[in-house]
Amino acid sequence: MARGMVQTSGVSPMTRQPRQRHARWLDGTVRAVVGLCVAAVVGVFCWIVGDLLLVGVPELSWGFLVEAPIDSGRSGGIAPILVSTLAILAVCLGVSLPLGTSAALLLSELAATDVRLVRVVRRSLDVLAGVPSIVFGLFGNAFFCVALGLGFSILSGGLTLACMVLPILIRATEEGLRSVPSDYRHAAAALGITRTRTIWKVLLPAALPGLVVGLVLGIGRAVAETAALIFTSGYVARIPTSLLDSGRSLSLHIYDLSMNVAGGEPKAYASALVLLMLLLGLISMALSISDRWLSRRMVHT
Amino acid sequence: MRIRGFVAGLAFALLACGGTDQAAIVVTGSSTVAPLMAEIARRFEEQHPGVRVDVQTGGSSRGISDARKGLADVGMVSRAPKDSESDLRWFMVARDGVSLIVDASNSVPGLSKEQVRRIYRREISNWSEVGGPDLPITLVHKAQGRSTLEVFLEYFELEDKEISPDVVVGDNEQGIKTVAGDPRAIGYVSVGTAEYEAGRGTSIRLVPLDGVEASVASVGQGRFPLSRQLNIVTSDEPQGIVAELIQFASSEQVHDLVEAQFFVPVE
Repeated sequence: MARGMVQTSGVSPMTRQPRQRHARWLDGTVRAVVGLCVAAVVGVFCWIVGDLLLVGVPELSWGFLVEAPIDSGRSGGIAPILVSTLAILAVCLGVSLPLGTSAALLLSELAATDVRLVRVVRRSLDVLAGVPSIVFGLFGNAFFCVALGLGFSILSGGLTLACMVLPILIRATEEGLRSVPSDYRHAAAALGITRTRTIWKVLLPAALPGLVVGLVLGIGRAVAETAALIFTSGYVARIPTSLLDSGRSLSLHIYDLSMNVAGGEPKAYASALVLLMLLLGLISMALSISDRWLSRRMVHT
Repeated sequence: MRIRGFVAGLAFALLACGGTDQAAIVVTGSSTVAPLMAEIARRFEEQHPGVRVDVQTGGSSRGISDARKGLADVGMVSRAPKDSESDLRWFMVARDGVSLIVDASNSVPGLSKEQVRRIYRREISNWSEVGGPDLPITLVHKAQGRSTLEVFLEYFELEDKEISPDVVVGDNEQGIKTVAGDPRAIGYVSVGTAEYEAGRGTSIRLVPLDGVEASVASVGQGRFPLSRQLNIVTSDEPQGIVAELIQFASSEQVHDLVEAQFFVPVE
């Protein structure tokens, strides 16, 4: 991004004689400012990761991953919390992926002519995407936990997260679908291929990169979530035996260790490090799966 | 293939839902009591195979309302009962002192109740007026809904709206992090947490109040004035296994757990 900006200022029209010195001075300043901004961004990132590594790595061990927390998490590990986190994420994605893809298809393919409907849905999705997560938490608690009687459970937590992730997922997938050239649709229609087959075989594979972007953003938001989960999936640090069990997520564990447990900080750092690695792992997995799927599909088209 | 995978996942989810269906004792409320209660619950579960105790958090007010509405079997409340709450049954699990803290480099010898009152009303705005260094005072205050805040306001007879703090913090740890390293700051947190953090080298000092040193020991002896109760509540007279849990939580068998959380066991 930095390079892009510098280039733009390089080809600015202010290159005539009287303005040349001024332009050169401006170029230099812009370059310096942009460089500083980049350094600041990279610096903050390195600081965070470095700080995490410095305090977290000594606490990290195989035992930390496979043991249950002891003494409110000051010792022991995070095994039940990891299991709960993955279960919550699985529920969230299992619900939001099919729903999100269908909604995106409706918006960009099936209802594309009904401008008003599309506009209303899109506007409400944008609003939904900006709603603070604690609001989703309170909604999830009132609706899933109390009204539907699911109680504090992984199911409630996962469904609440699904509601939260849906807008991101839908908008990204929709962008992906809309970036598919109309020629594809026309060609498919000319060949007499049904609309469903066109969507399934042509449009979805072509829109996959958009879907993956949404998926990655969604996973990121879901895994990092604390506020929406305190009142839905809960605080219990035990390995869940069913989706109706309450289970503490990793981010909530980090919050609890650093805020409510005196002396929990080193383990909070280690847990944050695990969270970071989990996130990187999940994202690279999503990318590699989509790559493989895409290459297999694209051979035929 | 994608559809098949999804259907398999759904079937698995339904199976998982229908799994174990043993009733759990649900405990919700104060985030101060929750880590302690979770440890008590774990020990209780070990002694009673087949019993599950689910501890949730969300604040003292939530503990009260969930116990009242029947959403929880037991509520956790980190303060003494109010008059309007006499419909609930109260059981004390431990005590927690609230200590005033300053940065370790702040030389203020001690504060009286009246001095603290005036500091938080900004009638005293420089440390030199109370025997400290010549520095302006930075007020660190707790956010609404925190029970330490209620203990603090009640003891010092202050109204929340009278106070215009420089920094508002949520939890004890956040309060300590804010005060540590700032010689101008004054804040208040759990005495157990403060004593522990000071002991492991965090740059804070516990300020004696009205001549009584702020420590776990003085809270336990009942000498330290600024302290609060950590209670659990039920809506009715507890029955069966819930009654057993409550009795267990206020028995000597959990004193080591109470101390491990830097609280003070009740005699």
